[in-house]
Amino acid sequence: MNTPKLRVICASVLCAIFVVGLFAGTVSPYPYAKQFRERPNAAPSSTHLLGTDSLGRDLFARLIYGTRVSLLLAPAAALLATLLAGIFGGLAGLVGGWCEKFILAATDLSMAIPLLFVLLALRALLPLDISPVLSVIATFALLGLLGWPSSLRVVWAATKNLRNCDFLLLARATGCGRWRMIVRHLLPNLRPVLFAQFWISIPVFVLTEATLSMLGLGVIEPLPSWGNLLRGLEDISAVTANPWRLTPLFLLALVVICFQLILPAQEETA
Amino acid sequence: MTSESPLLSARLSVDYRNKPGVLKNLCLEIQRGEIVGLVGESGSGKSTLALALLQLLQLKGAKVQGEVVFQGENLLQKKESQLRDIRGRQMSVVLQSPLTSLNPALRIGTQLKEAWRAHANGTGDQCHAAVRAALRSVSLPDSEEFLKRRPSQLSVGQGQRVIIAMAILHRPALLIADEPTSALDTITQSEILSLFARLNRELDMAILYISHDLLSVAALCHRVKGGLSTLNE
Repeated sequence: MNTPKLRVICASVLCAIFVVGLFAGTVSPYPYAKQFRERPNAAPSSTHLLGTDSLGRDLFARLIYGTRVSLLLAPAAALLATLLAGIFGGLAGLVGGWCEKFILAATDLSMAIPLLFVLLALRALLPLDISPVLSVIATFALLGLLGWPSSLRVVWAATKNLRNCDFLLLARATGCGRWRMIVRHLLPNLRPVLFAQFWISIPVFVLTEATLSMLGLGVIEPLPSWGNLLRGLEDISAVTANPWRLTPLFLLALVVICFQLILPAQEETA
Repeated sequence: MTSESPLLSARLSVDYRNKPGVLKNLCLEIQRGEIVGLVGESGSGKSTLALALLQLLQLKGAKVQGEVVFQGENLLQKKESQLRDIRGRQMSVVLQSPLTSLNPALRIGTQLKEAWRAHANGTGDQCHAAVRAALRSVSLPDSEEFLKRRPSQLSVGQGQRVIIAMAILHRPALLIADEPTSALDTITQSEILSLFARLNRELDMAILYISHDLLSVAALCHRVKGGLSTLNE
């Protein structure tokens, strides 16, 4: 199978998953919190495609709603992180001097501390009994606000390279103003870099959210996410008895692999 | 400014942070409508002079001293906003390599429109008309297909003509051509030189032609200002 074909397949898989997540309310057979109390831990059947959990909730419905939470908010967090990286990385690369030194020092400091530890510490500062919706917002806002340092380094290097390019010199020589030069001449050249950073941040944030939620510090029940659905895997006997419970893990791996396999195509278009 | 006073009169010294004395008290005068050739070996400061005249060297951390009197005003005493108004409108530059001077991410039409919009607030139609006229004046097609091309889709000669078109969009009084033919083959070189001669004739545009190619300087210029190294005291 040639690579372009593989990319098309990956893109199709991602699109399909995104669409299902986006229209979870229509696609899902039941609301994610609806309990079938007479059927807890049910095996897969025509009524419950992936069975039910210990509270009798339909796992297929929860998986679909979980997809929406994980896959729609991770790009939002990636967008925020890329935006921050773009603004501060671009500023450091363009202005130089003490501004560049300060921004890079702050970036190095942030990169020296593992993201997951910082997220755990900050998330632990928030009350554990916050509402599920707030927990989603807090989780992804934290991811977005803390996930920029590595992207910033890349944007900074790209901007610094472009700063002394002849075409920017020529734009200045034609009388182009500073802001117009940044928006009309510099940004189009940074766009592939920014897009690549945005793209590679999405699977990272999906995985980080899953880790946080598995630890109980991410998206809070009853709202489903791939992370808190995976909490069911803590008990290995439950997994061996109900192997279909691995579906969120399979989906998570599939999505991350698809994101990674599509990425070279994005770089080529740069 | 009297009618006899030169269009440009410069006396310059330029020091880079790690390379002092790149230009020392260099004196240069250009009259209106005159083509002045400036020759010098590689590394003698030819491009430094071109950027110093446009006050673009400060960006590279260079220190420029002396005076650049252009149309009666010393550019070294002007603010950046005032200089922006002069660059491209009254004094333009054509850089050495068209392949690196054109923005790879923008279409040719967009780059020309950007250059026009830097000094004009007209309608889209006026902008389009000005861009097409500039392309025609440098013997390039003014079709939509050409305007939609990206720099990578142009030959080196076409790229250089596009840069010249950008430089003459606002009919500047002085065009600084910094080794504009060094990246071109002999035939294209000759075409570009003819183009400069025609633009000088038709627009009465003064040209500072910087080169190390004595033959092209002899073919184009009204006056040659000697070796750049000898101009430095």
